[in-house]
Amino acid sequence: MALLRFDSSLDPIDAMLSLQNELARFMRNPSFGSGLSGVGAYPPVNIFESDEGAMVIIEAPGLDPSKLNITGQGRTLTIAGERSFSPNGHGRGYHRRELNEGSFSRSIQLPEDYDVNRAEARYEAGMLQIKVPRSEHARPRQIAVQTV
Amino acid sequence: MADETKEMTPKEKQEVAKPQEQTRPGRYFVPDVNIYEFDESLKLWADMPGVREKDVEVTLKDGVLTIHGRVATEMYNGLRPIYTEYNVGNYYREFALHESIDESKIRATMRNGVLELELPKREEAKPRRIEVRAA
Repeated sequence: MALLRFDSSLDPIDAMLSLQNELARFMRNPSFGSGLSGVGAYPPVNIFESDEGAMVIIEAPGLDPSKLNITGQGRTLTIAGERSFSPNGHGRGYHRRELNEGSFSRSIQLPEDYDVNRAEARYEAGMLQIKVPRSEHARPRQIAVQTV
Repeated sequence: MADETKEMTPKEKQEVAKPQEQTRPGRYFVPDVNIYEFDESLKLWADMPGVREKDVEVTLKDGVLTIHGRVATEMYNGLRPIYTEYNVGNYYREFALHESIDESKIRATMRNGVLELELPKREEAKPRRIEVRAA
């Protein structure tokens, strides 16, 4: 089976369509063995693999990065944070109020092949990206063949 | 304030039913918004995670405000999904504005995936205090 991989160098429309199809294919993938606290809880989590390790991409706009707390313990990543909305100025009321507010905490248990202690996180454009490298012992190794 | 933070609950992202009669490929999502009214302006906040400042288009034409955000996809390069809970796509939403807005003074900024729009009212649309004189 060919491993499909997203490649943004494709035509932008093809790239978007192939990404959307790939994400739809793995929606709540039951064969993903890792433990996720509160499936269907906030924030929604997507988990990917690459040659280097795992990548967790969380959609959570409008967070205060200083109140974002990511901890790794054993195989478990925990992400906690909060979002508050308070417009300045003298308001005359609102027409729409749909934005999510409050606090959250979610844990993701990764397979043993990943080293949570070396995880790196970055928050950009409302997307939290956490890169978890593969553990040393799980990396593929070239095995030299000795001739006798 | 912070003591009574409620727990956040997820919302299923809503797909745009039919963005006009346009040939837009792929899934489009409806951004959640807050719209507040002030004496001098309307302010709108729209959640568009994954959209950078340069990829937002805001237009106001014939009283219809249109928001269009293109989501960045390079972060997915070389990644294979193993488990997903949400899909991604561009954002699109239209609003009919009843207030008279001064288009030349609209200001838009993106911060942490949230579009902030300030829509200043035209002079004639601002509330005015009318003095009541005693007879």
